[in-house]
Amino acid sequence: MSIRVNPGFISELEKYGAADVQKCYHCGNCSAACPFSKEPFIIPRKSMRYLQMGMEKRLQGTLEPWLCYYCGECSEQCPRGAEPGETMMSLRRWLTSRYDFTGLSKLFYHSWKAEVLALVLLALATGIGFFLWGSSMGDINHYDGPQAFLPSSAVHIFDWSMAGVLVLLLGINALRMWWFSLGSREDLKLSFFDYLKAVYLLPLHFFTQLRYSQCESKRPWLVHLVLMLSYVTLFVLIMFFLHEMQSGPQVDWRVHIFGYLAAAGLVLAVILAIRGRLKKDLQQYRHSHASDWLFLGLLLYVALTGVVQHVFHRTGYEFSANISYILHMMGVVPMLLLEVPFGKWSHLAYRPLAIYFAGVAESALLKQNQQQITEQAGAARAA
Amino acid sequence: MKTAVFIGTLESPPNVDLKDVAGYASRLPGVVKVEMISYSSPPHPESLADELRRQGIERVVLAGDSPGFIKPLFTRAMALAGANTDEVRLASFREHGADLKSSTARAKAVLACAVQGVPFLLAAEPKPLAVNPNTLVIGGGIAGIQVALEIADAGKKVYLVERSGTIGGHMAMFDKTFPTLDCAACILTPKMVAVGEHPNIELITNAEVTGVSGQAGSYRVKVLKRARRVDVKACVSCNSCSEICPVAVRSEFDSGLTYRKAIYIPFPQAVPNAYLVDPENCTWVQSGGKKCGACLKKCPKNCINLDEPDQTVELEVGNIVLATGYELLDAARVERYGYGKFPNVLTSLEFERLTNASGPTGGKIVCKTKKLNKRTKTEEWVADPAGQPPKAVAIIHCVGSRDANYNAYCSRVCCMYSLKFAHLVREKLPQATCYEFYIDMRAFGKGYEQFMERIKSEGTFVVRGRTAQVVESNGQMFIKGEDILGDRVVEFPVDMVILAVGLVPAPGTKRLAEMLGIPLDQDGWFSELNYNGEPTQTERGGIFVAGMCQSPKDIPDTVAQASAVAAGVLRSIACGCITGDLSGLKLEDIESRAAQLAGATKEIRI
Repeated sequence: MSIRVNPGFISELEKYGAADVQKCYHCGNCSAACPFSKEPFIIPRKSMRYLQMGMEKRLQGTLEPWLCYYCGECSEQCPRGAEPGETMMSLRRWLTSRYDFTGLSKLFYHSWKAEVLALVLLALATGIGFFLWGSSMGDINHYDGPQAFLPSSAVHIFDWSMAGVLVLLLGINALRMWWFSLGSREDLKLSFFDYLKAVYLLPLHFFTQLRYSQCESKRPWLVHLVLMLSYVTLFVLIMFFLHEMQSGPQVDWRVHIFGYLAAAGLVLAVILAIRGRLKKDLQQYRHSHASDWLFLGLLLYVALTGVVQHVFHRTGYEFSANISYILHMMGVVPMLLLEVPFGKWSHLAYRPLAIYFAGVAESALLKQNQQQITEQAGAARAA
Repeated sequence: MKTAVFIGTLESPPNVDLKDVAGYASRLPGVVKVEMISYSSPPHPESLADELRRQGIERVVLAGDSPGFIKPLFTRAMALAGANTDEVRLASFREHGADLKSSTARAKAVLACAVQGVPFLLAAEPKPLAVNPNTLVIGGGIAGIQVALEIADAGKKVYLVERSGTIGGHMAMFDKTFPTLDCAACILTPKMVAVGEHPNIELITNAEVTGVSGQAGSYRVKVLKRARRVDVKACVSCNSCSEICPVAVRSEFDSGLTYRKAIYIPFPQAVPNAYLVDPENCTWVQSGGKKCGACLKKCPKNCINLDEPDQTVELEVGNIVLATGYELLDAARVERYGYGKFPNVLTSLEFERLTNASGPTGGKIVCKTKKLNKRTKTEEWVADPAGQPPKAVAIIHCVGSRDANYNAYCSRVCCMYSLKFAHLVREKLPQATCYEFYIDMRAFGKGYEQFMERIKSEGTFVVRGRTAQVVESNGQMFIKGEDILGDRVVEFPVDMVILAVGLVPAPGTKRLAEMLGIPLDQDGWFSELNYNGEPTQTERGGIFVAGMCQSPKDIPDTVAQASAVAAGVLRSIACGCITGDLSGLKLEDIESRAAQLAGATKEIRI
């Protein structure tokens, strides 16, 4: 079987943040230092090898970058300063752009200006749209009641239709991911039962991020877990309890306890992550791509405007509450529509999926490896 | 001749002021163009050729550090431009010593010669000086011994200064030499004895060079002779003093695996074959003669004088040979291999002593055992002949070598001695499993490749992959690494780990370099004058380098270089004159000499 290589692939990946890939001399220190490096997924040296050889097709189908959580142990120990950890990060960005069928992801990763432009345009459109939509429904001086500017029942419908679009986009991308990594591989014979057997991995790793906790440094995992749980909590509140959150001056504490905790967690985690990236005190914070800053910046903006909006609402400044609500949505809509399917946020789907796919294929790949080793040994003996 | 000068900006020696050099270049005769270029993104040959043709360039000078890397590009451009492709001249700064203090001036001189089309070493020829036929050799390892013997055998006087109490150096500690598996002592000991007995060699052990003055051909050297406190001529090495001495110190010769006394002989075959006192640990010396003194009473020859003072002697020599050797990098710095934490993680020199028939276990390879030290009342790990032989041994290559975090360079000997270790393990313990973890196998010498194949065929598991970690769980050590060729991460239980620790210059190398005015290279080894052309000479006339102190090298290379040094020294003695210091030359001298030579070659061409 011949494999077509792309000799310029490293310079392509440099646009996604990779540097120093060429320095690697394949001593294997990184793979041995990595807590996740287990047959058949040798992380990260194997990807470095494919990269240096320009095996783009093969990299497109690897799940290994998603199995890495960038604890930085490999980069720290690397005798060549080849930054394998950062290479895995860049590969994740590149894979995101490969899974994305629209090409927007690639555009955004190549040019942060394009990304910012798209975000700003969509934010403006959202702002104007919401203002006009609100004006057609009610009065900007009323937040609640029959004359409400943006009644929660209407916003609820908007939220659900946006969720539908997101699921569609992410679903197509996830299907492409499956096709690249498992579906198109003729050498892997996977039964329906294999898929069913491993399905528990999806919720398990989505909600606990169990693998992340196996990294030596626990701080990033904790920050990430808090961020993710807060995010999911707020997502559930908004999607299912929007009416209870928004309605009237009266307070439903059962909902609000969760809301406050999640908002605090979100702000705290984002600030910790930003501080880490500024101080560069952990290996994983040492290199920041433009997309990382945009991600954190947007998240912080959305969280803070949400808090401000809530304060105005509860203190009875209804006009200000409506304005800050529009400002909040001007962050939320671009964040969800652009960042979730095309940007860094997409990893919320890809990471658990990769763990699931890896779990599905693991035994088959192991068997294949074993077979190869036996064949090689047989050939060596014959020679 | 219309000349274009291109100055590479990447990795130029830090002391060179490139702007100053560029300004200077533009004032040189015939130079019509000076350009700074980056090696990482050099100009395209086609566009370059157009430019060269337009300006009518006849000669191109590439200046900077290792400009030879981009020479092919310029040769091609000259060919495309229809000019003489031989006229691409190189001005390599670092190659000609432009990493000294006066480096900008040196860089200018190198550039001036290249612009004139004259080799630098031809134009920069120091004036000859009269030479004293006596020679000083600093360091009594195999390199120093070889130099001393060669010169002394030719009938000239040699002073051999050695810091420790005996000559022999590291080679005396070795069991076998690679790739022939000869007994190291069988090669070295006769040479050591020959040095001790040679009428032309004055052996000064337990001594250090403290000052050098003068110039090439007539150096005055101050040597601090530390008091040996034992009369070398009278001592018969009866061991009575050592038996009675109450102080125990870790033996340097046994890499700390055993103890010696404060009055001791480094090893039985030491030259000079006499005892010496370690004043830092001797109770008598430390107490100012108030305590102990047991050895004085016991000595049957009355040859111990514990109050003997240090003395400084002055030597007059014509040539100085540096053969100061190396030491091991501190293996504890590479924390993840657990040296110092796990008792059975050994450095290469420790294993060398362990497997040596004259070593602490009589050549038995055993794991260290815990024993009570009666003197200090503490338990410690000792290499005891009755210990358990290891069931599995791992040898890790490149510990602290080829690693950006420690030494970026290859220590050159580790691959081969590690293979030798594997052989010794398999030979002495046929039941033991032996793993060798390597990155790249550097078997470059005569017979080395065959040696490697032989070791592989003897049943050692040679794993390609660097070990990441040595860990312990329930008293069992595990070694974790990637088997790159087998595409898997492996974890083996092992009882002994041998670290092939990288080599660093011997302590005091820097001090000596400052004293002598010799530049060190970026890794701390002595810089030679020209790596390809003059690998034994240094920046200063009459000062030579031999062996490891120049760069890591194995015994055959060391001996060959030592002999080459002897030839260089004898050449100067034979013709009665010596070339002086390169640094004594002024820029103007080199310039005018280059112009003169260029004129002469032009005449020949016509």
